[in-house]
Amino acid sequence: MKISAFLQKESCVLDLQSSTKEEAIIEIINQLVRAGKVLDKHRLVNDIMVREKLGSTGIGHKIAIPHSPTEGVEGFVIGFGRCAAGIDFNSIDADKVNLIFLMATNPAELNIYLKLLAKLSKLLNEESFRDELIAARSTDEIINIFQKYE
Amino acid sequence: MAVKNIVVSLAGAPASLVTAKYAIYLAKILQAKLTAVYVVNEKILQELFKSRIFVEVEVRVYERDLEEQGRLFLERVKKMAANKTVECEGVLLRGTVHTEVVNKARELCADILVMGELKEMLSRKEIFYDEGERIFREATCPVIVVKNPAEVERLYKELI
Repeated sequence: MKISAFLQKESCVLDLQSSTKEEAIIEIINQLVRAGKVLDKHRLVNDIMVREKLGSTGIGHKIAIPHSPTEGVEGFVIGFGRCAAGIDFNSIDADKVNLIFLMATNPAELNIYLKLLAKLSKLLNEESFRDELIAARSTDEIINIFQKYE
Repeated sequence: MAVKNIVVSLAGAPASLVTAKYAIYLAKILQAKLTAVYVVNEKILQELFKSRIFVEVEVRVYERDLEEQGRLFLERVKKMAANKTVECEGVLLRGTVHTEVVNKARELCADILVMGELKEMLSRKEIFYDEGERIFREATCPVIVVKNPAEVERLYKELI
């Protein structure tokens, strides 16, 4: 099961304009809405924000993975956002976040979602993978990097 | 050797219904008892907790939700089996999927273990760690990997 089968260039934002965590999450969700991946935007936003209140999804290494099961999507969706300046996500290492992976699933697809989250977590342990995502110049390159590492 | 016990490993995904149908078909034609096993994947939840993607309360919620999904799925499979007059027991377990499935098959002295189609693999590492591959490798009884959903559907429908 590959993340690249779900991640599409239309779901990626290479230059997030947001300056806060909340704005960044909504900016990526807006991109997913434009890509036709969302059934109910308000529900998706609400479920992602409720999860953020449980504890930050900034996992260190300048990465955040906001996520939640939600009826706001059908199946599994992933959106990607990158911000060169960094966004404060209250990360565990206190660093600002440059790479944001927003993952959501319909509750009926929990097992697939968990496997893809675990897979993303393993990929992000590789420094070269993170560096290549930071250096990518286009959304096509982002997809190619995933395909290369998966 | 008569086949008396068939164990089927189910992941709860829609594709698992095809696996369940073939297991019911086999149990019917072999007049065997069927045990449907669903495992709440606690290992993956713990991995996500350790990698700090999940917080503790979230792990508990996922455990509860997965358990509920598993229970509902097993009930559905038991009803499908009953409709074909096949004796079927549902077993809900928690832990590492391949370990629980293989142990349950051994405990029940399963004559056949039925499982869903294996995923397309890309690397040796992936093959080594995939739960389906590990069930296939570590099972101590013959394993049937279900393929060709259309044919399974035909066989299942033909059962009285």
